[in-house]
Amino acid sequence: MSTASQTAYLTGEAAADRGDLTSRRLSPEAARMPGALGTLAAQLRAELRSSARVPEYVVGVVAVPIILYTMFGLPNAGEVLPGGTDVGAMMFASMSAYGVVSLAIFTFGVGVAEERGKGWLRRMRATPMPFWAYFVAKVVGSLAFCALILLGTWAVAAFAGKVPFDGLRLAQTVGVLMAGTVAFSTMGFALAYWFRPKAASAIGNLVFLPLSFLSGFFFPLDQLPEVLAKVAPYLPTYHFGQLVWGAIAPAQDVLAFGAHPEGSTWLHIVWVLAGFVGFGMLARAGYQRELSRAAQ
Amino acid sequence: MTTTSVPSRRETPTTTASATTAAATPAEGSAPTPAVIQAAGLTKRYGDLVAVDSLSLTIGEGDIVAILGPNGAGKSTTIEMLLGLRTPTHGSIRVFGADPNAKATRARVGAMLQESHAPETLTVAEAVDLVRHYYPYALGVEDILRRADLLEKRDNRVGQLSGGQQQRLNFALAIAGDPDLLFLDEPTAALDVAARHLFWEQVRGLAAQGKTILFSTHNLAEADALADRVVVINHGRVVADGTPAEIKATVAARTVRLVTDLNAAALAALPGVRHVELAAGESREDAHPMLVIQTSTPEALLARLFGAGHRVEELTVSDTDLETAFIHLVGAAADPSDPTESAS
Repeated sequence: MSTASQTAYLTGEAAADRGDLTSRRLSPEAARMPGALGTLAAQLRAELRSSARVPEYVVGVVAVPIILYTMFGLPNAGEVLPGGTDVGAMMFASMSAYGVVSLAIFTFGVGVAEERGKGWLRRMRATPMPFWAYFVAKVVGSLAFCALILLGTWAVAAFAGKVPFDGLRLAQTVGVLMAGTVAFSTMGFALAYWFRPKAASAIGNLVFLPLSFLSGFFFPLDQLPEVLAKVAPYLPTYHFGQLVWGAIAPAQDVLAFGAHPEGSTWLHIVWVLAGFVGFGMLARAGYQRELSRAAQ
Repeated sequence: MTTTSVPSRRETPTTTASATTAAATPAEGSAPTPAVIQAAGLTKRYGDLVAVDSLSLTIGEGDIVAILGPNGAGKSTTIEMLLGLRTPTHGSIRVFGADPNAKATRARVGAMLQESHAPETLTVAEAVDLVRHYYPYALGVEDILRRADLLEKRDNRVGQLSGGQQQRLNFALAIAGDPDLLFLDEPTAALDVAARHLFWEQVRGLAAQGKTILFSTHNLAEADALADRVVVINHGRVVADGTPAEIKATVAARTVRLVTDLNAAALAALPGVRHVELAAGESREDAHPMLVIQTSTPEALLARLFGAGHRVEELTVSDTDLETAFIHLVGAAADPSDPTESAS
């Protein structure tokens, strides 16, 4: 940082900064920071680092879908459905979908609740940081972890299970799964803002397993008791599953896999989007409630 | 001088907020003043509890102001309102002539808050670097760590820090954006004596740059050592506002306990005596009961007593704890006959 540029912002730039009453009293050591994108990048860096250092997160969220695939997906690899799709590929889709939902609940739900509980979010509000940067960094960070889950599960399927993947279908599936990470982020945020920080973790654990079963991620829906199977079509995660299977395999194979697809792709998209928007509104209301509570 | 005379650099800080508010509000739009903080008639109610009561405060650029008061006096609530983190029930706040919540205001404000912890899995240097990036201008990571005396802990995880180190990290995060106005809420609460010394040295350095500093404390000595202005609050009201010297003269800094043949009324009339009362358990009927005298000048008082040949027995002189000093300040204004009761 040269003396010349400092003088520049201490006088001209600093004075132009404002309509305020007194001029800035910058230290000679102060430097101009890169702005909103720099804030976002720093937030993302911190997000990735702090998540990667929590073993519960890396193992519980990233590794579990890969381990489950190895245990339950691999033995079925090589079995081919009538339309030519390998069951190993179907299970790749199922386990990845499960991974996406658990990622959303733990990153956006439990993680945010924790930072909220520690007073860190309150502290952030006392800075000029735009709060969207916090949420966007969470979403982008979780996309990176989602990519890790998909890469890991795919590698087990492709190398250990010798599962053949259709390139185009695989790309579609990855796209749907990534979009799902964003779509279910609001569900997590709502959880974080509507429950006490300590309760959020328990609720997260309580919710995501039944949700995964009811959505058919662990075994096909036609193996579920009929009553439970009837609940499924009212869950956004069920429709998400339908989209994922629809991306990896033709309708004929989805049916043969036992996922009993009902309704069109558009219906599924509408359901997932409705979940995104609905939980988003709920999260927003919770966030506003937090603000007004803190303001009390 | 009696307990009710409180030196003030401004007009009667404890009086009517409504008048102050009405006067201050239209003034905001007109001629700008160099005041960094202008708060008028600030009131914060939680149900029936009035945490801050018609508090008005104007702080100029470069001032170092201590908000002094016992626990629960409303110090944190006041700071959080000035930061825009809490919305006042009544009253108005301008910081740098703007809303405290405005982004431009926040860009120039740093805060050390109680009970706020950085993510435990980040290292100290990473947490500092993260918060730097929230501001339009910032100090370098090394520089911040040096000022907060955290260079040696730079690679430690936040979760591994001791209470005092956490507090230093809070300071580091507060100064990261090179703020023009710094709020420090009980900044030295978890620090040992040596760390306190270093801490205040850094704060003085910032003040020398012309930065405005507002800190809260319940330690009169700390306010005295650092601030050029002390605002004493109790029960959410300003009870005294002046230079440390003025405040020390107002708050009876010493407690003298003695038995003497001079009666309480005569003692109370002596110069420098703030308050006289019977010691706990003593009876009014007693000819020479133990008396408790609040004064800022115990030496002068005793010299006078000895000089006049009065009997002085069972003498002790001690520092008045701040709680007691406040009780006498506030209580005297409300009900001179029984300060302890009226203040509680």
